[in-house]
Amino acid sequence: MKNWLSTLKALIWKDLLQEWRSKDMLTAMLAFAILSIFIFNYAMELDPRQRAELAPGILWVVITFSGTLGLNRSFVAEQEQGSFDALVMAVPGLGSIWLAKQISNFLMMLVLIVIVLPIYSLLYNQNLFNPGLILTLILGAWSFSAAGTLLASMTAQTRMRDLLLPVLLFPILMPVNMAVVKAGMGVMSGAALASYQVWLTVLLVYGIIMTTISLLVFDYVILE
Amino acid sequence: MLFWNKKLSFLAIFTGMLILLAFGLVLFYAPVEQNMGMVQKVFYFHVAAAWLGMLGFLVAAVCAVLYLRNGKLSLDAVAASSVEIGLLFTAIANFTGMIWARPVWNTWWTWDPRLTTMTIMAFTYIAYFLLRRGIDDPAKKARFGSIYLIIGFASVPLTFFSARLLRTIHPTIFGNAGTGEMAMTPAMYQTMGFSIFAFSVLFVLLLVTRSRLRLNQQWLDEQEALEQEEEFGEVANG
Repeated sequence: MKNWLSTLKALIWKDLLQEWRSKDMLTAMLAFAILSIFIFNYAMELDPRQRAELAPGILWVVITFSGTLGLNRSFVAEQEQGSFDALVMAVPGLGSIWLAKQISNFLMMLVLIVIVLPIYSLLYNQNLFNPGLILTLILGAWSFSAAGTLLASMTAQTRMRDLLLPVLLFPILMPVNMAVVKAGMGVMSGAALASYQVWLTVLLVYGIIMTTISLLVFDYVILE
Repeated sequence: MLFWNKKLSFLAIFTGMLILLAFGLVLFYAPVEQNMGMVQKVFYFHVAAAWLGMLGFLVAAVCAVLYLRNGKLSLDAVAASSVEIGLLFTAIANFTGMIWARPVWNTWWTWDPRLTTMTIMAFTYIAYFLLRRGIDDPAKKARFGSIYLIIGFASVPLTFFSARLLRTIHPTIFGNAGTGEMAMTPAMYQTMGFSIFAFSVLFVLLLVTRSRLRLNQQWLDEQEALEQEEEFGEVANG
């Protein structure tokens, strides 16, 4: 167990270090996220009275779209430099390769949220630092990266690659989208916890199901 | 003899008769609904098609799990064929639903859980075929396809549950007797039951035929690859 944990830690560290040195993924994700906030502003003529209700939805769309951009890059190093084979040989238990990638993708999403949230608050003069909203987004980010990491590991090995990921991912993510937006709206409108608790449960259940399936089937993604 | 099967042609004739009989029952046996009129009759095919849509994806998901366990490519052929048929009938269910909804709900489309879920399900399985098209190696194609089917099948019930929490106006037909809501007469139940039965036999026929076609295609591809290999070998030797 201790061995397994240190393997996991090493694998996550590798991803984070690589990202820290290149900063490819985060820069693109952030630029894209902020640009989309601007686009939304003009596309929807956000008027201050409607904004409070709309904020969780817009925020979530911005986060998932830029997150998809990042997911597409998350297996590039393994693909282009052939380090996948090396990893498979070096790491005992293929599940930990997937779990490590999933956790580093999740951390990347958290960084994105930590930066986008204050920018949105600033641009729209609306305080989004609400513990309930942050919890919802964290749960959503976990579900997103659980489903996304598994699918990205497959699309990275196909001919269409980046083109394919959103088409595969978005229909699968439907329950997450509904749950995050509904729970977020509940939090922002100041409703009682009981009225949106069920959506948090949906997020939790989805996250658990996707993580379990991924751990079970990931062997078949890298198996040759 | 690989392409001709006597039992299958009997099944095909039998299915054809069943479907004709179902049409007959719908048109002449089932009574005309008092509020909705003739357009309600599309319901018998709508329910049967929706059932096949779900059955197709259920069969595919089971085949996907089995394929990952034992790696027989024939199981993948059945899974892919099953998704194809499921997709076709999901589309039929959606369109027949629209034909009914226009006069009854006064709109072609509404964001009802069942409509939304069926459509999202269809998109999941269209994505399945896109994924398969992007991969050349048959074993990898089957593996990735199976994984995607399993994830898709796990997320569809959650989509339905979530959409249902939001809102619904779709009629619930079963178990409404005595509540004053839409309820069916015995003749309607019988017609619907028969229509579902006929469609289910049609599903078996289509699944067997399509899977055989797929397997034959696989076999042909393998032979072609072998032939090319031989030719290439001769050239290299000469």
